[in-house]
Amino acid sequence: MSSLVKCPHCGLRPREEFAIRGEVATPRPKAGADESAWFDHVYLRDNPRGEHREYWHHAGGCRRWLVLSRNTVTHDISDVVDASTLKVGGDA
Amino acid sequence: MTSFRIEGGTLIDRNDVRSFTFNGTKLSGFAGDTVASALLANGKQVVGRSFKYHRPRGILSAGAAEPNALLTIGRDGRRDPNTRATIAELFDGLEARSQNCWPNVDFDVGAVNGLLGPFLGAGFYYKTFMWPAAFWEKVYEPIIRKAAGLGRAGYDPDPAYYEKCWAHCDVLVIGAGPSGLAAALTAGRSGARVIIADEGGQLGGGILAEGGMIGDKPADATLADIVGELHALPNVEIKTRTTIFGAYDDQVFGAVERVQKHLPESAINPDRAMERLWRIVAKHTILATGAEERPIVFGGNDRPGVMMAGAMRTYLNAFGVAPGKRVALFANNNQAYQTAIDLEARGIEVAAIIDPRTCPNTRYQGKARHIAGAMVRDTDGRKGIKSITVRHDDGRDEVINVDALAVSGGYSPIVHLACHRGAKPVWSDQHAGFMPPETSDGMTPAGAVAGNVGIASCFDAGAKAAVAALDALGFSAQPANLLGSDKSDDIRQDIVALWSVPSSMGKAFVDYQNDVTAGDINLAMREGYDHVELAKRYTTNGMATDQGKTSNVNAIGILAENKGVSPGEIGTTTFRPFYTPVSFGALVGASKGFEFQPVRKSPLHGWAVRNGAKFVETGLWYRSSWFPKDGETFWRDSVDREVLNVRSNVGICDVSTLGKIEIFGADAAEFLNRVYCNAFLKLPVGKARYGIMLREDGLVYDDGTTSCLAENHYFMTTTTALAAGVLTHLEFCAQVLWPDLDVRMASATDQWAQMAIAGPKTRDVLSQIIDDDISNEAFPFLAAREVSMFGGRLKGRLFRISFSGELAFEIAVPAGYGESVADAIMAAGKEHGIAPYGTEALGVMRIEKGHVTHAEINGTVTPADLGMGRMVSVKKDDFIGQVMNLREGLVDPSRPALVGIKPKSPSDKFATGSHILNVGDEVSLENDQGYVTSMCHSPNLGHAIGLALVKGGPERYGEEVVIWNGLAGSAVAGIICNPAFVDPENEKLHA
Amino acid sequence: MRDFPLNIVSPFPAKPAANGHAAVHIAPIGDGFVFHVLGNAGATEGSLKKLINDIAPELGGALCSPSPHQWFWIGSCEVSQDRFAEILAKLPDGFAMTDQTHGRVRMAVSGVKVRDVLAKGTMIDLAPDVFAVGQSAMTQIGQIGAMITRTDDDCFEIMVLRSFAVSLWDELHHMAAEFK
Repeated sequence: MSSLVKCPHCGLRPREEFAIRGEVATPRPKAGADESAWFDHVYLRDNPRGEHREYWHHAGGCRRWLVLSRNTVTHDISDVVDASTLKVGGDA
Repeated sequence: MTSFRIEGGTLIDRNDVRSFTFNGTKLSGFAGDTVASALLANGKQVVGRSFKYHRPRGILSAGAAEPNALLTIGRDGRRDPNTRATIAELFDGLEARSQNCWPNVDFDVGAVNGLLGPFLGAGFYYKTFMWPAAFWEKVYEPIIRKAAGLGRAGYDPDPAYYEKCWAHCDVLVIGAGPSGLAAALTAGRSGARVIIADEGGQLGGGILAEGGMIGDKPADATLADIVGELHALPNVEIKTRTTIFGAYDDQVFGAVERVQKHLPESAINPDRAMERLWRIVAKHTILATGAEERPIVFGGNDRPGVMMAGAMRTYLNAFGVAPGKRVALFANNNQAYQTAIDLEARGIEVAAIIDPRTCPNTRYQGKARHIAGAMVRDTDGRKGIKSITVRHDDGRDEVINVDALAVSGGYSPIVHLACHRGAKPVWSDQHAGFMPPETSDGMTPAGAVAGNVGIASCFDAGAKAAVAALDALGFSAQPANLLGSDKSDDIRQDIVALWSVPSSMGKAFVDYQNDVTAGDINLAMREGYDHVELAKRYTTNGMATDQGKTSNVNAIGILAENKGVSPGEIGTTTFRPFYTPVSFGALVGASKGFEFQPVRKSPLHGWAVRNGAKFVETGLWYRSSWFPKDGETFWRDSVDREVLNVRSNVGICDVSTLGKIEIFGADAAEFLNRVYCNAFLKLPVGKARYGIMLREDGLVYDDGTTSCLAENHYFMTTTTALAAGVLTHLEFCAQVLWPDLDVRMASATDQWAQMAIAGPKTRDVLSQIIDDDISNEAFPFLAAREVSMFGGRLKGRLFRISFSGELAFEIAVPAGYGESVADAIMAAGKEHGIAPYGTEALGVMRIEKGHVTHAEINGTVTPADLGMGRMVSVKKDDFIGQVMNLREGLVDPSRPALVGIKPKSPSDKFATGSHILNVGDEVSLENDQGYVTSMCHSPNLGHAIGLALVKGGPERYGEEVVIWNGLAGSAVAGIICNPAFVDPENEKLHA
Repeated sequence: MRDFPLNIVSPFPAKPAANGHAAVHIAPIGDGFVFHVLGNAGATEGSLKKLINDIAPELGGALCSPSPHQWFWIGSCEVSQDRFAEILAKLPDGFAMTDQTHGRVRMAVSGVKVRDVLAKGTMIDLAPDVFAVGQSAMTQIGQIGAMITRTDDDCFEIMVLRSFAVSLWDELHHMAAEFK
């Protein structure tokens, strides 16, 4: 597990300041999408070995939701961005 | 007792005598001694008993790797088991005790285990104690634990203070031997921020064991110059007694500093940390951890008096302690010969040097007899070594009388920290050791850990490693030249690996701490456990407090030799933190007792204290749970009174701990409409609305009220329990799901002191304080707006909401005014019989009214289960949980739903968690009808009441059931009923 | 009851613990205001500063940002509820504001050992040439969220949620005790 995360707003911070929600799921289906799309969104996760995108919340700092690109084997973080810039919840 | 203290000793101060006890015997040493050096100086050769066979054991090393000399130091709360005598600094009054021996270290009953050797070999746990299975827990394990083991933890609380700190640097230098010092000085001179850490009490590492010259100057003078300059550099932070125990991701290192561990009780500052846990953030690290000298595995190699050659040299030069009067050296490399040279220089006879190499080229010129191509195959002596048996290259045995034996099997680079993140060390035939991994980001090994031999070579390597690292960090640096001359003491090791002596007699130990012999390793191989990780678990080689620092490489060597492959092919076991043991005290830090976690205090805390509140911890909050009056001895006396008083007069309750969130933005209404399952789009200004939030899976997440205070300005309240969770959830929705909405949130929980005033006389009280009209017409149920108070002196937010079911208001004022306002309300209410009530009374009243909390919102319920199915909007386009809430399983009409429950006979009681059964049914999972979620004694009804989730729900009002409590073994007859036990028509609420 | 005396109660202990800390001094900051300003996506610090200068120049104070498009506007003068309402009414749509004067309380921590004390709680590197005067960071001190602002050479201001004030106060004193 990474020890330090470079928050795009606050700089280098210890992981204790963050709450981890888990894998970035499929985008939230639009109203009217069929149930299987909702099952994928709510329950299905890949849990990969290697590159992984996760939601981290900087609860002890700026309180922004971030998307971390983290390697689950090496724990190297290749990218951290504010989640709002990705529009992951709406149109992918 | 013979004294082994001789002249010299660079670390000790002979003018500062320190007395201590060892197993109750009074002894003395000097300032600068370790417990080990002081024991050796006092002729205490046997210091402990071994793990399985209870063999007498002495001091093997002079540092962190010590497997044998583990003592319990101190007493009561300051009692530290498994302390390595070789690390523990001597202080006045120190009490040390041997472990794993009874009745004492010299005569140990457990030594009979030595005779049971054949049954205690590799895998004996798995073979001997297999059957019967039930015996393991009750018989075998307790006996084994008692007979075999290390020190025992104490029972007394540790009075010391511990803390955790962060530190930052450009260059972290791990180890303050010659390479570390050169690196630190090079980096320090360049202006970089440097931290140099060493586990010892003094900087110097290997230099401290040097008796002679370094370059043109005596070793101690050279060291003093370096240390002096480092201390003078403001950008260099020196941490002695500090072990870097782990390398973690992102160049964060864990370290423990033993701040006051070396001090006597009388000198300990209680306000200062006993130990300090550091997390060090480094940009680059110089790994200057040195190398660990390896034993050789031969018969009787554990006999007290057998010592590592380098350690013997340290005791001689640094502590002025002679190992004996007639010493032999058994070594396969050139560096170890320095021990013989130093012994002879101090007038100690070196009886023989036994070297397995056939023609060693060592430049040794001393008087000792040199036996090439030979090996030590056995030792003799009851409690200490008296003689060794040497097997010559022609097969002839010779017994040589000695009282100490120095051993050196080569040097294992201390690569742990380079491997903690998963990189594997690399085998080198040239060094006969595992070298640091080739790629380790941000870390450069330098000195003995990288295979450098000798002080000059290490100085050079450390300085150069620092220059390269500094260059990459943007500092220009020159390598520090610490020799004072160009003289090089380049030493060739010419090592020929020797793991174990084939002709060994008796037990030849690989792992001293776990009593693992060469025979055990061989047995493990024969039984198929030849993978290095399996062999470790099967034999226990490399486990326990020393984690195989002296044994792992020999075990790997033996495995490799037997399989006919290179040790590199066998590989090492996994390196993990901690490098050496770290006390729980340090890991816990200050987070114990009252500082275990922070306390959150309501702005009305002081008011509650003045009114005699009893407090309850709710998460971090202290909430007032009831307010006993004189004569009330039992909590329910108070709670019943508080409830009846609210229902008949008026009460005041602190609800400041409820979560409060200010919500702004042009799209705030649309946002609320999406996060609540009920409609919020058309909530008018000045109105509050009860709302239910679902999770995306369709189950209820939290409930609360949200008020519209102005256009695009809302004020949400959440439950106390989920205040943080709801804010986080809303932020996720706003930032991740719908970043296109203009919605902005701020936590306002702490800004407001909020109190609920409830009961039929509420208006009589509040109208004395609130300037605005609060009549039912002017301020109806669910009105919410700012009001003027105290003749215009203060503004507050008034909400007409009720959890108790009574006529009630909640008033919020800026937190600092909370106590004054509460006092004013109490004063205004005095003539109306006002009394404060706590969370217990609140809980009773909400059950009486059938209101739910997280006892019911337990992650398994839908709004329909709670009787609020009609709140779920069927008109909205989209809200969290909309689709999944309609899943087949969540709309099944037979789902358990909220009901009230009461005992058939008013005198019967029942408990929360009890299950509901149909009358006459057997107790079984299939027959389960539901369970009680909340219960209390209703003072209004005079009997127990509860809420329950029961199959069929409200359709079963009036039905008799069984309330079954498996834990208490009780069953009472109950009646299912409407959960609104009080005022089901809401007449009081709207009064 | 309309004339009932109204007092503001500080969350800090009534009497600051004996200030024998030569190397570290910890003191509550009782006066002033804390406004939490929440801007929309287009809001900038520059536009907020200009706005403040236009509508409430007499308040002065400083801005520190805990999060993008959000600021704590902190000053040392007293601002009445009515004055706050006036300022609020003049804010354009792009800015919202909420009074946090009572919700977030401040203390000053200073002295030559102040960084050693704070290093026991926060990971933030507060070295003089790394963390400049005027710089601030929303972070955690131990388990407690706090905003740390450097106000002078060896002087820091710590802002914390009111409910945590007593715990943080006690912990800071505990952390500073060795420098008595």
